[in-house]
Amino acid sequence: MKVGYRWLQEFVDIPETPQQLADRFTNVGLAVDALEIAGSDAIFELDVATNRPDCLSHLGVAREIAAIYGSELRTPKFQLREAEHRAADVFSISISDPDLCARYCGRYIAGVKIGPSPDWLKARLELLGVRPINNVADVTNYVMLGLGQPLHAFDADTLAGQQIIVRRADLDEKMTTLDEVERQLDPSMLVIADAKRAVAVAGVMGGAETEISSATKNVLLESANFDPLSIRKTSRALGLTTEASYRFERGADVEMARFACDRAAVLIEEVAGGTIFRDVIDVYPRRRTPVTATLRRQKIQGFLGVPVEDAIVEGIFQRLGFNITKHSHDGWTVEVPSHRVDISREEDLLDEIARHHGFDRFPSTLPKWSGFGSHLPFESDERFLRSRLAAAGYSETIPMAFSDESTERKVRPQIAPVKLINPMAENEAVLRTSLIPSMLRTIQWNTYHGIRDLQLYELGKVYWDGGETRSLIVAATGSLRPKSVHEAEREFGFYDIKGDVEDLLRSFNVAMQSAVNSVPAYYHPGRSVRLGDLVVFGELHPDYARDYKMRHRIYIAEFDIQLLFESRIRGSIEAVPRFPSIRRDLSLLLSKGIKYAEVEQAVRSVAIPELAGVEPFDRLESGSFPESKYALAISLTYQSEDRTLTDDEVDVFDRRILESLTERLGAELRQ
Amino acid sequence: MSSSDGIGRLRAIERQFDRDRISVADLKSLEDIRTRYLSRKAGLLTLELQNLGKLPKDQRADFGRVANEVKLKIEASLDTLQATIAEREKQTALGREALDVTLPGNRRRVGHRHPLTIIRNEIEDIFVSMGYTVEDGPEVESTYYNFDALNFPAGHPARDPRDTFYVSEHMILRTHTSPVQVRTMEKIQPPVRIICPGRVFRRDAFDPTHSPMFHQVECLVVDEGITFADLKGTLERFHKRFFGEKTKTRLRPSFFPFVEPGAEVDVSCVFCDGSGCRVCKGTGWIEVMGAGMVHPNLYQFVNYDADKYTGFAFGGGIDRYTALKYNINDLQLFFQNDIRFLGQFA
Ligand SMILES: [Zn+2]
Repeated sequence: MKVGYRWLQEFVDIPETPQQLADRFTNVGLAVDALEIAGSDAIFELDVATNRPDCLSHLGVAREIAAIYGSELRTPKFQLREAEHRAADVFSISISDPDLCARYCGRYIAGVKIGPSPDWLKARLELLGVRPINNVADVTNYVMLGLGQPLHAFDADTLAGQQIIVRRADLDEKMTTLDEVERQLDPSMLVIADAKRAVAVAGVMGGAETEISSATKNVLLESANFDPLSIRKTSRALGLTTEASYRFERGADVEMARFACDRAAVLIEEVAGGTIFRDVIDVYPRRRTPVTATLRRQKIQGFLGVPVEDAIVEGIFQRLGFNITKHSHDGWTVEVPSHRVDISREEDLLDEIARHHGFDRFPSTLPKWSGFGSHLPFESDERFLRSRLAAAGYSETIPMAFSDESTERKVRPQIAPVKLINPMAENEAVLRTSLIPSMLRTIQWNTYHGIRDLQLYELGKVYWDGGETRSLIVAATGSLRPKSVHEAEREFGFYDIKGDVEDLLRSFNVAMQSAVNSVPAYYHPGRSVRLGDLVVFGELHPDYARDYKMRHRIYIAEFDIQLLFESRIRGSIEAVPRFPSIRRDLSLLLSKGIKYAEVEQAVRSVAIPELAGVEPFDRLESGSFPESKYALAISLTYQSEDRTLTDDEVDVFDRRILESLTERLGAELRQ
Repeated sequence: MSSSDGIGRLRAIERQFDRDRISVADLKSLEDIRTRYLSRKAGLLTLELQNLGKLPKDQRADFGRVANEVKLKIEASLDTLQATIAEREKQTALGREALDVTLPGNRRRVGHRHPLTIIRNEIEDIFVSMGYTVEDGPEVESTYYNFDALNFPAGHPARDPRDTFYVSEHMILRTHTSPVQVRTMEKIQPPVRIICPGRVFRRDAFDPTHSPMFHQVECLVVDEGITFADLKGTLERFHKRFFGEKTKTRLRPSFFPFVEPGAEVDVSCVFCDGSGCRVCKGTGWIEVMGAGMVHPNLYQFVNYDADKYTGFAFGGGIDRYTALKYNINDLQLFFQNDIRFLGQFA
C-alpha cells in the first residue's frame, strides 16, 4: 500500500526526513518495499502485515508515526452542514444478515453536479497511482485512502424502491459489476440490493447499473462494515480483489464507518455541490463489545527477557490509543481501540511493547538448559553411506518429487500414487512412486548437455496413497574411465554395479542374501539380480531406456535403505594371521551353462576349515577345448590359525575339491 | 741400473697415467686402463715393480716407496673415476626413464554430495552441538497440522489452492516444516528443543528465487522461562557459527500467525559485510528467516500450560542458506542436477 509523506503530515508532525522515517517504519514492523522521492513529496510503498488492517490508511500509518515520535495525532476536522430534509424520509436501509454486516451507514446527498475533481484532489490520487474518475467517486477513494474506510456511492435514482437491503444473494442471481463483467452470484455471497435486485457485491464492487454517471443528481453514500471471512470468500469465488475487499477481508474499524460517511459527504458537497440530508441512516445491529486486555508487569521480563520501565510502557499505550482503565502494582488493564482488530490478549500487548520499545533494546541471551542434542536415528549410517558412495564415484542428485501417473505406473504398476488436485502442470500431477523416472530424467538432462559418463545416486522420498518412505537409487552409464593418454576407455558394466552393490553391503556388514530371480520388468532379464528385499540391481531394460531416448546402457541399483540401516551390524575385528597362507590355482573345464555360484558351492561343500577364500581369476569361452565347454581358473587360498600348512596337506585339499567339482559338475582339470 | 733411473720411469708412468686418465669415458675404458697399469701380469706398473729385485739393496727402499706412492695414487684415481662414471651411468639410465610429468595424472572419479545435503548437515550439526534434537515428519500432511493447529484461521490466504498443493480436502503437501513442531509437542511435554529440516511445497512457478519444492529448517524451543532475548541470542549464535563470527543478526517486527511477537530475521550481508552491494540491494542486510515467540494459541492444541511455558520458533530455507553460502543466484540449479554444477561441491 502506498502512502504519501505530505498527506501523512496532515495527520501528524514528522520530525524526520522520509528516509529516516522509512527506517523507523522498518523498526516497528511496517516493511518498506520502496521509497520514491517525488519532488518535495515522498511515496512509501508499505507491505502491511495481514493482521494490521488499521495501517491500510494514512490515518492508521500516522497513528504509528505518532507512537514512534510521541507526537500528537490530528484527526480531520470539518464542518457538517445538513439540510432540513431527513435522509430517513427518502431512503430506508435494512440488514437481513447482521452476521455478515455489522453496520451500514448511509447518507443521502441531493442535487450534486458530477464532473471532474478539482486539481488538488486529482493530484493527490494520481500521486498514489489512483486514476481519477469523477468528483464523487474520487471523494470515496480519497476518504478510503485517508481514513481506511471503503465507501461506495450509488446513483440514488437508479435504486428501485428507495431502499437498500443487505442480504445474501439468491440462487442463480446475476449482476453486472462496475468492470462490466456479469457475475454469477450464490447465497454464500452478501449483496447490497434495492427493492428488485442486487446492486453491489457487498464490500467487493458496485454494480454497473447504479454507478455514478454524468447524469447523476442524487447520491446514496454507503459506509459499511462487513464480515472479513465472508468478503474473502466472495472475493476468491469471483476472482475479484479490490481496494475495498482488500481492507474488509482483513478487518475494518466498525467505529470508523459513521465518521468516514460524514467526512465523505462534506467533501462531496465541497467538490460536487448538492445538499446533505439530515442524519446518517446508521443501522448497527451488531454493536462492538469493548475489548480489554491485561498486561502483567512481571510478564514483560518473563516473556521479553528484561523489564521495561512503567513510564515507557504507559507512554506506548497512550500513544497507540489504548486507554489504561486499571493500573496496579501487578500491571495494566487497557481498553483496546476499535481499529485494533488484532489485539485481545496479553501476548498482543507484549508485542506492542516489544515493537515500540524496539527489538534492538532487548538483550541477546541463550536458553539455559542441560542435556544434549541428537541427530535423527540412522543419521550416522546415512552419512557413512554417502561417504562410501562418493568414494565409489557417485554424485548425489535431488530431483523434483513431481511426476505423471503413466510414467510412474510403468515402473510401479501396483502402486496408487498421491494425486494432486491442483498440480502446476499435467505432467506434475502426482508424487513419484519410485526414484527411477526422476533418475532417468536426470541422466537424460546431462546427456542432452553433452555429459555421457555418469555415476549418480539419490537418497530421497517416494510416496504412495497413504504413506511415504526414503529409498536409495544408484545409477551409472557411459564409461567408468574415459580414454586418456595413459589408459584405454573402460565402459561401466554389469560387474561394476555389482561390485559397488557388494562393497556397500560389505561396508554395512550385511550378509548377502541368496538371489531370487524375480526382478521388475524394467530390468534387462539376463542382466539383473534381486537380493532378497534389500536390493535389486542390474542393467535397465533397453525398452525403458528408449523411452528416455537413451542409447547407452544404464545400470541401476535400488536399495531398501531402512532395511539396509536396520540390518547393519558391527563386525568383529579379527587378528592378522600369524602363519603364511598358501594359494593354489585350479584351471577347470566346465560345460557352458554352469554358473559360477555352482562352482563355488561345489568347492565350499567340501567343508575344509583351512579354506580361507575362493576367487575366480580367468575365464575363457573358447580355446583348445570343446565348444561345449568353457575354461575357468579359480584360486584357492588356504590358511591355518595354528600352523604353517605343508604342501602335502594342501595337495590333499586340492584333490578333494577337484573330486567334488568333477562329481557335482563334471569339471575337468584343464591341461 | 740405478734407483734414480727406476724412479724416473715410475714418474713417467705416473705422468702417462695422468694423460690416459682423461680419455676414460665409461666403465669399459676404465677397466682397460686399470688392466694396462695394474694388471698382475702385464700392467705397466707391475712390470716396473718386477725390477725391484734387480736394484742394489740400499736403493730398494727409495724405489719401493715411490712405486707404492704411484700405485696408491693410480688406484685412488681409478676408484674416483669409477664412482664418477657409475654415477653418470646411473643418471643416464634414470634419464632414459623420465616421463612427461606435465601430463595429467590418472583421475579416479570421485562423487560429490549435493550442496543442499552439505548445508543441511552443517546446520544440523550446529544445532545438535547447541543441544537440539533433530525431528522429521510426513510431507503429505493434514490441513490440521499444517494450518489449524498453527493458528491459521479458516480462509487464511496461505490455505488458498493457488498457493498450496491439495491432495484432498484435508490433505496437502506441507507448506512448511512447522507441522513437525505440533506433532512433537503432541508427543512430549516441555522442555522441547528441536529442529525440523525437510522438504516443503508451495505452488510457486520455477524462477531463480522460487521453486514449487524446496527445503526448510525450523527450530522450536518451549520451556519455562524462555524469552524473546533467548530467541535473539540463539539466532545470533547460529548465524555467527554458520556465516562467520563477524555476522550480525537483526530482527524486524513482522507477522506470522503462529508467533507473537513475530519478526523477519536479517543477517549482515555476507558478500559486502554490510556495506551494501547488489545482492543485498544496497541495504547491507539479507532476509533469511521468520521468527517469533510461540503464539499461546498453539499451546491449546497440544495441551501445554500457556501460563507456565513460553517458547520461540524460527525457520528459514535450506536452499536459501545454501545459495548464500556459495553465492548461487539461481535455485533451479539445485534441482536440475547438472553434473557440471554438482561436481563443484565436496
Ligand atoms: Zn551486500
